[in-house]
Amino acid sequence: MKVSFYLNEVLVTYDVAPHEYLATTLRNHAYKSVKIGCNESSCGSCTVLINGKPAMSCSILSLQVEGKRITTVEGIQEEAAKIAEYFGDEGADQCGFCNAGFALVIYALKKEYENPTEEEIKNYIVGNLCRCSGLYSHLRAIKKYLKEGK
Amino acid sequence: MRAKEYYRASSLEDAYQKLQEDAKNVLLAGGLWIKKIGQSYNTLIDLSTLGLNQISENKDEIIVGAMVTERDFENHPAIRKLFNDSIAFAVREVMGVNFRNLATIGGSIMGRYPFSDVISGLLPYHVKLKFYPEQEMSLEEYLNYKGKLNAILTEIHIKKEEGRGYFKKVKTTALDFPTINFAISKINNEYKIVVGARPMVATIAKGASEYISNIKHPTEEDFIKTTELAVEELSFMDNKDASKEYRMDLTRVYIKRGLKEVNE
Repeated sequence: MKVSFYLNEVLVTYDVAPHEYLATTLRNHAYKSVKIGCNESSCGSCTVLINGKPAMSCSILSLQVEGKRITTVEGIQEEAAKIAEYFGDEGADQCGFCNAGFALVIYALKKEYENPTEEEIKNYIVGNLCRCSGLYSHLRAIKKYLKEGK
Repeated sequence: MRAKEYYRASSLEDAYQKLQEDAKNVLLAGGLWIKKIGQSYNTLIDLSTLGLNQISENKDEIIVGAMVTERDFENHPAIRKLFNDSIAFAVREVMGVNFRNLATIGGSIMGRYPFSDVISGLLPYHVKLKFYPEQEMSLEEYLNYKGKLNAILTEIHIKKEEGRGYFKKVKTTALDFPTINFAISKINNEYKIVVGARPMVATIAKGASEYISNIKHPTEEDFIKTTELAVEELSFMDNKDASKEYRMDLTRVYIKRGLKEVNE
């Protein structure tokens, strides 16, 4: 079946199976920044933005995003580079597998909240797991990015 | 998950007809549970274009479309205002934001999932479910309904009332299913005590709720007596997360704390 959506602002039309998940479709079309980690809606590595909101692309069917705006990390390169700097400075940047999903969630967090509390930040990023670190380095990096990266 | 066809319903009637056509056709809300259990279907019936993703309110009720995402629900000012934010709080305890942007309130209710925080969070309040073809029942009636209901959930009506609420999910890690969960309401001196994930689906501890509702100025001893009544009347079981005894102990602790909190 055909599905059309805006991928990083460009209208694309792909041929997909009825039970094909968005992460698979994106990876099949060379968007390899979208990682499939746990493949059961837990780890957040497959996060993309759907109409600006973070969502797990391993768990939404490609046909469900008909007409929607999908953003992968390729679509926020400038902000992602900034976030990567803060991650590097705080030692949050290790194997890198979770980074693309993390960058998108942090980008969405910044758009959604003006001055999030620590609890709000934690609640927002809890669906993105990093298996290298204890996530405290991420929290420090995110706080600095939100404060200085305005 | 496998599916042969994907069908975008053009109306509720259209979706309903498609559902009747084949026992292996299924309604698609957020799609997260379908993904998790990985079964095979003939047709996935997409309900996303039927305008069921709105929250509205009148002077008595908040009306939540069945396809409203958990995230939109928990962020809605009218929902947050209810019972000191305790319903929205229960929903915020479900997985991460990137999950709740997909999961729907209707899907969370219709599955009657034993681990549901959404159901436990809503059950102590006056919540009515509306279906297509036209049918109406309370959330409690739906949980007790025998067999599979052959209807499409369209709206969830939450009665606006003044009162206090409490919700607690006990979990081992931030992203975990609940080991057990608790919700308590106090509206005009009437209490409702709910315990879910015991590990069975949430239920109201009726005897305990009635006992405490009949006491004007409850003391610590009344709270303890209430928790004992709840432990006696509810059934608990072992599973891989916790033993029956541990769940009973947690019930003693958290119902007491919750009762104190709704009395503050």
